[in-house]
Amino acid sequence: MTLVRCLNLLTSALLLAGIYAAVAVGMTVIYGVMKIVNLAHAGFLMLGMYFAYELFERFHIDPILGAMLALPVFFLFGMGVHWLLVRWLPKSDTPTLASLLLMFGFWLVLQNVGYLIWGNDDRSITTPRTLSSVSVGPISVPEVNLIVFAAALVCLVVLQIVFHRSWFGRSMRALIQNPYAAQIVGVDDERTSRLTFGLGTAFAGFAGALLAMVYTFSPDFGRPFLLRSFVIIVLGGLESVSGVALGAVVLALVETFGPYVPIPWYWHGWFFYHFSESLQPAVSFGLLVVVLLIMPQGLAGLFAKKRRLA
Amino acid sequence: MNRTSLFRENVGRLTVVALLASSVFTIQAWAQGGDTITIGVVLPITGKEGKPGQYQKEGIDLAIKQINDAGGVFVKDKGKKLPVKTVFYDDGSDSAKSASLTERAMSSDNVTAVLGGYSTALGEAESVMPDRYHTPWITTGAGATAIFGKGYQFTFGTLSPVALIGTTSAQFLGSLVDQGKLKKGLKVAMVVENTDHGIDYVNGFTEWSKKHPGYFEVVMSEKFELNATDFSGILQKVKGSGADVFLSDAHLPDYITMHRQYLQNGLRHQMVSYGARGPEVDARKALGDGVNYLFAGIWWSRNLPYPQAKKFTDDYKAFTGHEVDSWYAAPAFDGMRILAKAIETAGTLDKTKIRDALRKAELKDSILPGQILKFGANGQSEYPFVITQNKPQGKVDIVFPKDAATGEPVAPAPGK
Repeated sequence: MTLVRCLNLLTSALLLAGIYAAVAVGMTVIYGVMKIVNLAHAGFLMLGMYFAYELFERFHIDPILGAMLALPVFFLFGMGVHWLLVRWLPKSDTPTLASLLLMFGFWLVLQNVGYLIWGNDDRSITTPRTLSSVSVGPISVPEVNLIVFAAALVCLVVLQIVFHRSWFGRSMRALIQNPYAAQIVGVDDERTSRLTFGLGTAFAGFAGALLAMVYTFSPDFGRPFLLRSFVIIVLGGLESVSGVALGAVVLALVETFGPYVPIPWYWHGWFFYHFSESLQPAVSFGLLVVVLLIMPQGLAGLFAKKRRLA
Repeated sequence: MNRTSLFRENVGRLTVVALLASSVFTIQAWAQGGDTITIGVVLPITGKEGKPGQYQKEGIDLAIKQINDAGGVFVKDKGKKLPVKTVFYDDGSDSAKSASLTERAMSSDNVTAVLGGYSTALGEAESVMPDRYHTPWITTGAGATAIFGKGYQFTFGTLSPVALIGTTSAQFLGSLVDQGKLKKGLKVAMVVENTDHGIDYVNGFTEWSKKHPGYFEVVMSEKFELNATDFSGILQKVKGSGADVFLSDAHLPDYITMHRQYLQNGLRHQMVSYGARGPEVDARKALGDGVNYLFAGIWWSRNLPYPQAKKFTDDYKAFTGHEVDSWYAAPAFDGMRILAKAIETAGTLDKTKIRDALRKAELKDSILPGQILKFGANGQSEYPFVITQNKPQGKVDIVFPKDAATGEPVAPAPGK
C-alpha cells in the first residue's frame, strides 16, 4: 500500500469515527446514568434528519443551523418522552428487559409515525457542500464529513466539560458510579435522569440533523448505526464519554483497514487471507465479542486499571 | 347425567361443529371467489424497499382496474366474466414477514395466485411457499437466478435474469469499443453488493467477457455489505486499481451513498454504472448533475418506443397522479396481465391448471422490452434489457439496443 493511499484511508477512518462518535454519544450518556439500552436512539436520529430536512425544504435553513436548532427541540422532546414513558420503568442498576422492550416498541412507533408523515421516499439534503471536498495535497476530504467530524469533537468536549465542571455533571457521575450512594448524599435521581434523557435525545437529534447531509434517508434509517453504537459503547467502556471517542476511532480503523490486513491462514499450507469489504459487519461484531470476553470494561476500563496499577 | 341432558349437550356440540364447518366452507367459497377472483399481493410498502414496492403495487392495481373496467376475466367453468380483487399485505421489507404473509395468503385466504416479492431477498423468502400450497406465485421484483434454479413448479417471475444486466452492460460497452468511442482492452473495476443480485451481475458480465476476449480486463472485483455506512475504503481500492470503467451493482440507497462518496473523492472513469440503478429521480435530487452520464441496465423505460408503453405511461399517471419515473411498476403491471390471461386460458380457478396455463402463456402486447412476455422452463421470463444513460437537464435516453434507442450514447463521459 502506498503512503498516499494509507493517508487517504486514515483520513477516511477518522472522518468515519467522527460520524460514529456523533451517533453513539447520546446513547452512551443515557446508558451510563440510567442503564437503559436506548433502542429508540435510531428513531431519534431519523427524526433529527427529517427535522433538518423540513427546515431546509420549507425555510431554506442550512442543515448546520438546523442541527443547532435540533439541540433544544430534541432536549425538550427527550424530557417529554421521559415524563411520558421512561420514568415509569422500574429502577435498576442493570439494563432490564422492560426498558429494552419499551424503547424497542417506541422505536417502531417513531418509524411508523415517520412513514405516516413522510412516506417511504428516500430523501436527502443537497447543498453546495454536498459534493465538495477540501484537498490537502493528494488527500481529498469531503467537506460535509469534515463538518460532522468537527461537530462530534465539539459534542464530546462539551460533554466532558459538563461532566466535570457542572453540578448536573457531578450528579450524573455520581449516579454512574453508585446510584444508591448518590441518592443518600442528596442527588435528585429523578431530575438528573430526566435531564440526562433529554441530553441524550438532544445529541441524537443533533447527530441526525448532521447525518442528513451525508446520507440518503427514509423512516427506516438508523439500524446499521444503532448496531455500531453498541460496539462503540462496549469498546469505549459502557459508561465513559471519552471512551466513546476511543471506541469510535478503533471501530472505524478496524473497518477501514481490516480488508487490507493480511491474516495468515493455514489450509493445505500457509497463505495470507484478506477480508472482503462485505465482511465489515463480521469484523465489527467479532471485535465486540472479543472485547466483551477479554476486557468487559472496555478500552477505557483497561487504561484506568493500568493507571491504578502504576 | 340423564339422557335428556346428554342429548341436549350432544345436540349443542353438533350445532357448534356444524356452524363452524359451514362458516369455514363459506369463508373458503368466499375466498375462492364464487363470483370473484381473489389474488394475493405481498409487497413492501414500508421499510427500506417501500418505494419500489409501492410502485409495484400501483402497477398491479392499475392492471386490475383495467381488467375490471373491461368486465373482468372470463372463466369458462363459471360461464361468465369474474372481477378480480386483491388481498394485500405489506411485508414491511422484512423477509420473515414476507414469507409468512405469502403463506397466509395461500393458506388462510386461499387465493387463486399470489403476486409480489420485491426485492430478491424478500422474493427468495417467499419462493418456498408456492410449491407447499400448490398456488401459482409470480414474483414481479426478484430477478436473481437462484430462485429459479431450485426446480419449483409453481414459481414464475416477470423480471429477466439479473445476470442479463451484466451481459447487456458488457455488450453495450463492447459496442462502444466497436464504434471506436472506447479503446479495446478496457480495465474494469467491479464493486457489487454481497447478494445473489450482485453475484449474478458479475457472472453475466464475466461470461460475456470470456466469450469476447480482448475487450475487457477485470482489474478488481469486490463485494460490499448491503446498506453500508461507508464506502471510502473500497473506493480507495478502485482509485488504486487504475480502472477505465467502474461498474457497480447496488440498491438505491447504497447507489446514492456510494456515488456521493465517489464524487467527493474526486474519482472519474470513462464509463460508470450502478447496475439497474441510475435514472431514479431521488438520485438526481440527491446528487444533481453528479448523476450525468451514468448508464444503467434496466427492465423497462418510459421512453420505450412502443404505443402500449406510451399508453401505460399515460394511464399510470392518470391512475396514480404521478409520473412513472422508474421501471418498477411495469413488470408488476404485466405480471397481473399475464396471470389474467392464464386464468382465462385455463378456464377455471383450479390452481394447477392455472399453473399449466402460465407455463404456456404469451403476452403479445407486453410493455416490456421485446414486447412479448413469456416464461422459460424454469419459470423466469427472459427479455432483453435496455441501457439508459443520464444526460444533462434531467434527460434520460435509451442508448442500447439501437432499435429502441432514443439518443446517442455519450462515451467516454466528459471529464475523463
